[in-house]
Amino acid sequence: MKKFKNFEDVVCPFCGTLCDDLKIILEDNKIIEVDNACAIGTAKFFSSNVSEHRYTKPMMRNNDKLEKVTWDEALNKAAELLANAKRPLSYGWSSTECDAQRKAVELMEICGGVLDNTASVCHGPSLLAIQDVGCPTSTLGEYKNRADLVLFWGSNPVHAHPRHMSRYSDFIRGYFRVDGHLDRTIIVVDPRTTHTAQMADMHIRLNPGEDYELFNAIRAMCRGVELDVKEVAGVPIKQIKELVEILKSCKFGVLFFGLGLTMSKGKHRNVDAGISLIRELNEHTKFNLTPMRGHYNVSGANIVFTWTTGYPYSIDFSRDYPRYNPGEFSAVDILKRNDFDVTLIVASDPASNFPKDAVINMLKKPLISVEPHKTPTSEMADIILPPAIAGIECEGTAYRMDKVPIRLRKVKNAPEDCMADYEIIEKLIEKVKELKGE
Amino acid sequence: MKFFLTTGRTIDQGVALEGQKLGRENIKACAICEFDKDDFAKLDCMIGTPVKVTTKFGEVVVYSQISEQGPHPGIIFIPMGPWANAVINSETYGTGMPSYKGTEAEVEVVKSGRILTALEIIKSYK
Amino acid sequence: MGKIELTLKKEPTFSLEAESITPDNFKGKTQKDIANLIIFHGNEKLSLKDYFDIKGTAGNNLDDIEIVINGNLSKVKRIGEKMSGGAITINGDVGMHVGNTMNGGKIVVNGNAADWAGAMMEGGELEITGNAGNYVGAAYRGNWEGMTNGVIKVKGSVGYESMIWARGSTPKKRFPKLICGSAGQFFGLHNHGGIIICEGNAEARVAADQARGFVVVKGKIGRIMPSFKKIGEVSEIELPDGEKISGKFIEYSGDHATSAKTKGRLYVAR
Repeated sequence: MKKFKNFEDVVCPFCGTLCDDLKIILEDNKIIEVDNACAIGTAKFFSSNVSEHRYTKPMMRNNDKLEKVTWDEALNKAAELLANAKRPLSYGWSSTECDAQRKAVELMEICGGVLDNTASVCHGPSLLAIQDVGCPTSTLGEYKNRADLVLFWGSNPVHAHPRHMSRYSDFIRGYFRVDGHLDRTIIVVDPRTTHTAQMADMHIRLNPGEDYELFNAIRAMCRGVELDVKEVAGVPIKQIKELVEILKSCKFGVLFFGLGLTMSKGKHRNVDAGISLIRELNEHTKFNLTPMRGHYNVSGANIVFTWTTGYPYSIDFSRDYPRYNPGEFSAVDILKRNDFDVTLIVASDPASNFPKDAVINMLKKPLISVEPHKTPTSEMADIILPPAIAGIECEGTAYRMDKVPIRLRKVKNAPEDCMADYEIIEKLIEKVKELKGE
Repeated sequence: MKFFLTTGRTIDQGVALEGQKLGRENIKACAICEFDKDDFAKLDCMIGTPVKVTTKFGEVVVYSQISEQGPHPGIIFIPMGPWANAVINSETYGTGMPSYKGTEAEVEVVKSGRILTALEIIKSYK
Repeated sequence: MGKIELTLKKEPTFSLEAESITPDNFKGKTQKDIANLIIFHGNEKLSLKDYFDIKGTAGNNLDDIEIVINGNLSKVKRIGEKMSGGAITINGDVGMHVGNTMNGGKIVVNGNAADWAGAMMEGGELEITGNAGNYVGAAYRGNWEGMTNGVIKVKGSVGYESMIWARGSTPKKRFPKLICGSAGQFFGLHNHGGIIICEGNAEARVAADQARGFVVVKGKIGRIMPSFKKIGEVSEIELPDGEKISGKFIEYSGDHATSAKTKGRLYVAR
C-alpha cells in the first residue's frame, strides 16, 4: 500500500525571495509533486530524490578515484587536514541554514583559518557600500503594500527571482495598491532588454559598465544642477530628466538592485552611488532599497557571521581574533595568491563559479566538499561529506533578502545516513579539538 | 567580431544547477552565447553553430544563440558557469569580486568543434 | 646612528604579517630582543629570526634608526605600521599595508608595493619607486576618514580607489598628499580636502563624490564624470599647502552629485 503525504505552506530553499506558500506531495519518501514554486524551486525539491546525481555515502579519493568510505574515516581524515593546516580556507555557507553557519564560525576560529561566504562573489560589494554610506531599507511586505514605483537596476527578477514580481513587487495587490500591477510604475535600468525590461513601463538602456556615471548624473540633477553634457552612459539628458521627475514625484519608491551593479566596472562604488541617490530622493519622497540576494540564505550567512564576529564575510581568524578585509581575505583573492593550504567548501560549487585562475590554484591543494549533489567541485574533491538538504530534509532558519528570518521545514527524510550540515560541522569541530589537544 | 561580454543568471541555468550540473541540461543552459539579432546576422551562420569566444584571459567554445532578451547590440551574454568563467577577467581590484561583467571578447564561428562538459573544463585545469 | 639590516632568508609559503618591523619597536632593543619579535605566518606565531637574518643594532634615538630590508618581500605585510619616526628602506617588492597608519618618519620602497600602501596615514613620508596596488592612502572599510596628513610619492602607477576619503584641513594644517605617475579608477573618490596629483594619465571616475579638495591630472582622463562642471582655464594652481603648479589646465568644479555647491576642484591638462 502506497503512503501519500501532503505538506502545505512549505518554504522554498532556493533564492532570497524565500516563497513560503509551496505545496509538496510525497509518495513514501519521494517527492512526486511540487505546487506553487517556480521552475527552479521545483527542480530543487525534485533533486532531493535519490538519483545518480546524489551522494548518499561519504567518499574519499584513493589513487585518483573516489571510493565510498565510512563517516568516521572521512571525518577523521578531514579533521586531520584541517587541524594540521596553517592557512585553511572555508567557503560557501549560503545554501544552508543558520545553525550550520554558526558552527562554521566556530570551526574556522579553532582552525585559525579564513572564512568566506558566497556574498564575496555576489552582493559582497553591496555590503561594502552599505558599510560606507548606510542603507535605507524596509521589508518586502511594506513594498507590497505601499510602493507605487519599483526600480530594478541591474537586476532581472524574471530569471533570477522568478516569483519576486508576483509576490512582492509588481502584480500582487497591496493594502494601498489595490489594483496591483496597474497601481505601480515599473522602471528597469539594464544594458539588455531583459524579460523584466520587456514588462516594464520604462526601460533605460544604458551602456554596459557606466552605471556609476548615470547614478551621479541623476544625483546632480535631483539637486537641480544643469549638466554640461547632452547624454550620460548613452542615455539622452531628456530621458534622464523624465526619470528624475518620476523618481521625485512617486509616493513610495523602492530600488531593487542586482549583480548588474556589483559585478560591473565600479562594483561596490556603483552601489555606493545608488544608495546615495536613494538618500537624496528621501529629501523629496519616501524611497528605500533592497539588494536582490541570490542564495536563499546568503543574507543569513552575513547576519550570522556578523553577530558572531562583527563582520559579514571575508573573515580571517589566523590571529585568534576576527579580522575583515575583502580583497585580502576573500576567497577568490586568497586562491589567486595561493595563500592557503586546504579548502573546506560547504554548499557551494566554486569550481563552476570562480574564474579560471582561482580554480586552477584551488585544485592544487586538498579539497573537502560538503555537498549533496555531484558538482564539478565535489567531483574534484579529496573528501566528500554528503549532507541532508536544509529546508527539505532538515529544519533550520533562513533569512530572506530583506533580513526577515523564516523557519525552514522538513518534508522528507535524508537518504541513508546523510547528516545535517550542522551535525557534520559539529563532528568536525569535536575531532579537530581533539587533535589540537583543546 | 569584437563584443562586450557579460555574464549572469538565467532561469534555465538555475534549473540546471539543481542536481544536474554534470548533465546535458547544464550544457544546454550554460554552454551558450546569446547574440543580438542583428549582430548574429553578421556572423553568417545557423543558430546553434559553435562559436569560439576569446578574451585576454582565455577562450571557450560554446553554442551560438539569438537572444530573447534583446536588442543589445555589441553585447554578448554567456550564462554564469564554467564556460563563462573560462574567459572572464578574474581581477578583483582589491574588492574580492572578480569582473564577471564587462570583458572585451572576440568571437569567431567554428564549423566543427566539441563543446566540453562542465567537468571536462574543470578537469583540464588540474 | 642605529642602522639595522634585515634580509629575508626564505620565501614565505603564506602571507607573513610583520607589523613588528618598525623603528618604534626596534628602539632600545638588543639584536637578540629584535630577533625574538613576533611575526605571523598563516596561523603560526613565529619570531623575526625564523625568516630574517639580522645585522646591526637599533640604538636609543628613534629618529636615528634606519632599518634596511632586503629580499622579495611581496608576501610580507604591514611593514612600518603605525611608525612614528626613523626610517625604513625596503630593497625589493613589498606586500600589503606597508606604512599603514604611520604618523612620522620615512619609508622608501625600492620596488613595487601591493594594495593598501600608506592606508590611513597620519603623517610622515612614504616613497615607492615602482608601482603601487589598489587603495593607496585609502580609508579602511567603513571609515569616513582616510589619510589625514603626510605625503605619499609613487613613481609608477597607483591602482583603483587610491586616496579615497582623504581628509585634510587647512586651519589645522593637515594636508594629506599623493603624487603618482598614473592612476586607476576612482582616483580621489570621496575626497574631503586631500591634495591628489597625477603626473600622467588617470582612468575614469576621477575625484568622483569629491566634497572638497584638489585633484590635479597632468595627463589625460579617460572620461570626466558628467556631474562635474567646467569653470574655465587656468595657468597656475595654488594648493592649500602653499605649493604652486604652473601649466595649462582646465578647471572643473565637482562632484555636484554630492552637493550642488561643492568646493571640490579638478584640474586636467589642456
